[in-house]
Amino acid sequence: MKGKVIVITSGKGGVGKTTTTANLGTALAMMGQKVVLVDTDIGLRNLDVVMGLENRIVFDIVDVVNGHCKLKQALIRDKRFEGLCLLPAAQTKDKTAVTPHQMKNLTNELRKDFDIILVDCPAGIEQGFKNAIAGADDAIIVATPEVSSVRDADRIIGLLEAAGLNRARLIINRLRKNMVKRGDMMDIDDILDILSIDLLGVVPEDEMIIVSTNKGEPAVLETNSRAGGAYRRIARRIMGEEVPLLTDEAGNFMERFKKMIKLAR
Amino acid sequence: MSATLRRINGEPWLDLSGEKTFSAMKGSLARQLNSLDDYLLGTLVSIDIGSKHLTDKQLREIEDILLDHGLHLKEIVNSPSERRDTANFDKPVLEGMPEYEETLLLCRHLRSGQKVCSNGNLVILGDINPGAEVVAKGNILVMGSLRGIAHAGANGDTTAVVAAYRLNPTQIRIANHITRPPDGEVVTNSDPEVARIRDGKVIIEKLKI
Repeated sequence: MKGKVIVITSGKGGVGKTTTTANLGTALAMMGQKVVLVDTDIGLRNLDVVMGLENRIVFDIVDVVNGHCKLKQALIRDKRFEGLCLLPAAQTKDKTAVTPHQMKNLTNELRKDFDIILVDCPAGIEQGFKNAIAGADDAIIVATPEVSSVRDADRIIGLLEAAGLNRARLIINRLRKNMVKRGDMMDIDDILDILSIDLLGVVPEDEMIIVSTNKGEPAVLETNSRAGGAYRRIARRIMGEEVPLLTDEAGNFMERFKKMIKLAR
Repeated sequence: MSATLRRINGEPWLDLSGEKTFSAMKGSLARQLNSLDDYLLGTLVSIDIGSKHLTDKQLREIEDILLDHGLHLKEIVNSPSERRDTANFDKPVLEGMPEYEETLLLCRHLRSGQKVCSNGNLVILGDINPGAEVVAKGNILVMGSLRGIAHAGANGDTTAVVAAYRLNPTQIRIANHITRPPDGEVVTNSDPEVARIRDGKVIIEKLKI
């Protein structure tokens, strides 16, 4: 029991859970960690697509929990990194094919061989969500700077607290600095004010994400991708390093901070 | 002043609204009941206590006294009366506020989808986020931002108030009144405020204690 299980969740769909899971997993593997990505979005799997590993799937998570195959047989080794594996979801079943109890056993099994287990949670708060958080030690909430996304994140934080996961941290995804500057988008302060949880990082809007997702190559592999850089820094924060927010990421947040310092002088 | 028994719509009605303290109220109630005839046995009695409010314990005492005389309590009535200002019942902490036996203290944030109810007052040391709901039979005090829905005086107490360090609610309900902030208006307030019913409308004013 050495590995750490982190669930990546959001409540709302389409905010970037899967992209975040793929990129953080890859970034952590780049740092030499042994990482496994678990896709719990049974019936709508796409973490394998984003990772570019779709054509290697033979067995999936449902086969594992039902004993149709060994865990090792279902794990797919990444093309690029030795220490990175994927446990894909089943596409022909639905969320009820797995129970929270089975998920707990599965993550405990994975802890033995991996340092970090990243669980990609499906959207919603039903069975799939309950499965995904069942074995988790920690949670990362992904939210975009939109009222609906923040509202759902708030609901999710409440449900996580009820399940005993009190130290969820937040990733703000797809922030557009220019829109924030014009006052057309919620800024970091607004979001943190409502959610009142720790900020793990901010990922700027980046077209390259779409390109890399389509290619099946996580953006962290591109040295000149802004979002990729943000994910690399978040991965370092997950490993306990102190990495300050860049002005570029933080927008108003840092400018206000600087103003405060100026005023103090 | 002694209690006076009247009949309203054929039902016995005891007026205790003139009594200043609870013990005086009990005393005059007992005196009045002693002088009653037996023909009332088993009937329902309404009691008018003016602008005062009874705690659950006091209510039970009244019921016991009535039961000793073979009567049942129909309801406690708060009659509107000009004596309201002079009646000073056990000196409430905040002027004009009724007392509740229970107060629920909550030291956490309420997030979307969460709901808390209280049988008396409700005090929250934290925020109420949009989508969260708090309901209290008495008053609600939020030592944080109120962004969700708050319902004070849920049992019909129109004197109940909702006070918040930052009052930005989705909706405020007091007794049977429902209000929401006006559409399209973005008001940023930086002072504690209180919502209460005045002249049949929910109004918001700066919190002064």
